[in-house]
Amino acid sequence: MTFEQIKSVVAEAAKLYGVTQYEVYYSESEGMSTETLKDEISSFTSENASSVDFRCIINGRAGYASTQLLEEDEIADLVKKAAANAAVCESDDELEFFAGSESYGEVDMPEPVIPSAAALREAALALQKKTYSLSDKIADGTQSAVGAAISGSHMYNSHGLELSQRYGVNYGYVSVVVKEGEESVSAFKGANGSTFEELESACDKAVNKALSQIGAEPAPTGEYPIIIASETMRSLLSTFAPVFSAKNAEKGLSLLKGKEGEVIAADCVSIVDDPFRPGSVQSAFDGEGVATYTKNVVENGVLNTLLYNLSSAKKAGKTTTGNGNHSNGIRYHNFYIKPGSYTREELLKTADGGIFITEFKGLHAGANATTGDFSVESAGYMIENGALGKPVKSFTIAGNFFKLLKDIAALGNTVDFGLSTSPTVFASPDIYLPKMPVAGK
Amino acid sequence: MLSKALCSDIIAKAMSTGADFAEVYQELTRGNVIRLIGGKIDAIDDTVISGVGVRAFLGTRTVYATTTDLSREGLLRCASAVADTIAQSNAQVSINLTERIFPNIHGIKRLPGDAPVNERIGILKEACFAAKEYDERIAQVQGNLISIDHSILVANSEELYTTDRHVRTRLAVSAIASNGSENQSGFYGPGRAMGLEMFETVNPAQTGIRAARQAIVNLGAVPCPAGVMPVAIDNGFGGVIFHEACGHSLEATSVAIGASQMCGKMGQKIANEKVTAIDDGTIPNAWGSINIDDEGHSSQKNVLIENGVLKSYMVDRLGSRRMGVPSTGSGRRQGYMYEPTSRMTNTYIANGPDKNEDIIASIEYGLYAASMGGGSVNPVNGAFNFAVNEGYIIRNGKICEPVRGASLIGTGSQIIQDIDMVGQNLELGQGMCGSSSGSVPTNVGQPLIRVSKITVGGAGK
Repeated sequence: MTFEQIKSVVAEAAKLYGVTQYEVYYSESEGMSTETLKDEISSFTSENASSVDFRCIINGRAGYASTQLLEEDEIADLVKKAAANAAVCESDDELEFFAGSESYGEVDMPEPVIPSAAALREAALALQKKTYSLSDKIADGTQSAVGAAISGSHMYNSHGLELSQRYGVNYGYVSVVVKEGEESVSAFKGANGSTFEELESACDKAVNKALSQIGAEPAPTGEYPIIIASETMRSLLSTFAPVFSAKNAEKGLSLLKGKEGEVIAADCVSIVDDPFRPGSVQSAFDGEGVATYTKNVVENGVLNTLLYNLSSAKKAGKTTTGNGNHSNGIRYHNFYIKPGSYTREELLKTADGGIFITEFKGLHAGANATTGDFSVESAGYMIENGALGKPVKSFTIAGNFFKLLKDIAALGNTVDFGLSTSPTVFASPDIYLPKMPVAGK
Repeated sequence: MLSKALCSDIIAKAMSTGADFAEVYQELTRGNVIRLIGGKIDAIDDTVISGVGVRAFLGTRTVYATTTDLSREGLLRCASAVADTIAQSNAQVSINLTERIFPNIHGIKRLPGDAPVNERIGILKEACFAAKEYDERIAQVQGNLISIDHSILVANSEELYTTDRHVRTRLAVSAIASNGSENQSGFYGPGRAMGLEMFETVNPAQTGIRAARQAIVNLGAVPCPAGVMPVAIDNGFGGVIFHEACGHSLEATSVAIGASQMCGKMGQKIANEKVTAIDDGTIPNAWGSINIDDEGHSSQKNVLIENGVLKSYMVDRLGSRRMGVPSTGSGRRQGYMYEPTSRMTNTYIANGPDKNEDIIASIEYGLYAASMGGGSVNPVNGAFNFAVNEGYIIRNGKICEPVRGASLIGTGSQIIQDIDMVGQNLELGQGMCGSSSGSVPTNVGQPLIRVSKITVGGAGK
């Protein structure tokens, strides 16, 4: 079924069930990926999917239903189910659909292309070959993969607002296992691109990371100066990003509730939400059809604003910040801590005797966005004579995210945006914390 | 679901260029989630996931293609994409599928879809209101009632054509306790492979109270001291320790490609002799149970470790080809979007010889982990971490003050040797396990156990 056909089935059903305010969100995607093992292609996948998400509002309350079964009866049934769901909803969010912004920003992204299956296979095999050539310690289990996907979405609501967007993501990664004696170490590095030339640097980075971790032991228990590397801090920021949601604040799930205008971080910390960052997936409108814009969420330590959608803004007497999704939640764009002024070398000199963290594991379990507490398995290097020293692993770093924001004493001058595969990206420069508790041996 | 004739054509098409095995997998999942926050029903969402995955093997090379287009043309296009990638030789294949009906050992009494929405809302409210009323310091309660009706079809070039239906219900409550400046949380989320009859044995109000009680305990807890110490881990979700530390490393997913700490250890003593560990997908109506796996094999009870000796890996069809051992009925996937791989079902450490009170009494100074959170593992070297949701310091054989923010880290091969006491109160706990074939429902479980030494992380002194 085409989007036009879906719209007309929905319009008929809406009339039948007396639904006057509604939104149809149609998404379609296609993609291919290939993976190697030893010196051959071990798997190849291709996918193509479409789905319809339907939402209606009755007396200010929303009902939801979605399907991947794109048949006329199923789509008409969506309207019936969503209307029934809205009828028993008790939320006092007073939702309404959006009629449209006066103007929308321009996105600047290359036309998405999915390379041929042969080109993907060739690139994956070349990555694998290069990875094996870098060290005689590379072991079975090492895999290289390359893939590409295109996603498109169309939204239409009963105000007549109709918006579409389309983006492509090409990506590859190397997941390397190195073995020395009885010890096995693995490392992963991803990058955007689909040719060997675009992805080649991932081979060296993954292999070097794995080799340099051979012989790692737990760090001794104690308090240390800590640098969290850019690529690692990204995952911590992503875990705690829900604290910047106005919806979570409103529901009492974020300790940043009521803190707008107050100092919540060290002077050097600014956090930006940028829907138009060059090189990332860009979005001119959010999931509610509101025009997006770039904003400083935190500026020199002060919380300027939380991220609002239409309903949380209305409740707080504010204006949406263009951060809604299409299920009354919050969407982040390119959300990152701005770089500071120090090179990594300068930071290492400052943090001498400390630990440089390059990996957090199990953040989904070891960190709690509601309390801010985290206690997380880590790996990295001791900082000896102002430079990276012996590798360390299997120790935990514990703390609280809100305290960490205030304790940041310096920031690196580059931000690693890593592998991005969606319109939401989290990133950060290296951060320096003068004192953190470490549990190891 | 797709007809035998259409499945035959799809399989023949997928094998038309020389594949030596092909399979059609269809999924139709109807889900309903009721969400409650702040005492009010916040949203109800109905979802339908529907699609087909076509897979072919040539030796140990696999090709997989998926589509949501269920028209004959769409499905044959999907099979052609598979054949074009195999591109080995021209082959004329004729497939004669025979329907096979597996016994249903997880019968459902009341399908969630048949129960009025007000009854389901009532269950969720009973749980959440009980949590809110437990203590005035409970500041917020969120709850979900999740109902899943998941039908699958598996047809393959070994002439199998079969279907199965998994119905699951889960009630999850998370409570937040606040003293004004600080928040602490508690969670409890029981689930079963059942319909609404689950609530004949699981009390909704007790579910809410359990989440609230944990949040209040944590509000009064001090940060957990860090260090290496003995740890007593209680039953139920405490079994996540075995799931993460050892279970994932016994999956063919990593064993078959040489990327597991457990490679080459079959028949060897890898754990303390008190440890017997089992993966059993046949427990009637348990959260992780299945009649057949997602490759059409009957689910089995697999003894993984018996008295410390490694007896079995968990093997899927591709793992079976790579390792030259039979499938153990462990091929699972979230749905059609994923190629299946070897996964756990209900995995637990069996009851042992020790009395629970002796385990606590044996610890001079250590941690009692009453309730565990989630964790993760690197199967290559077995390095794991997991979070303690509710913990207490043990001093002189007595459980003392509560501590919060603790995490446990170590390596799987070490910890299973260090489990030196195994108690007798086996209970299962429900979780969702993530891996390369998506998120699948799994039970973890164990009785109270003692680990003689483990690294405990925490912010306390």
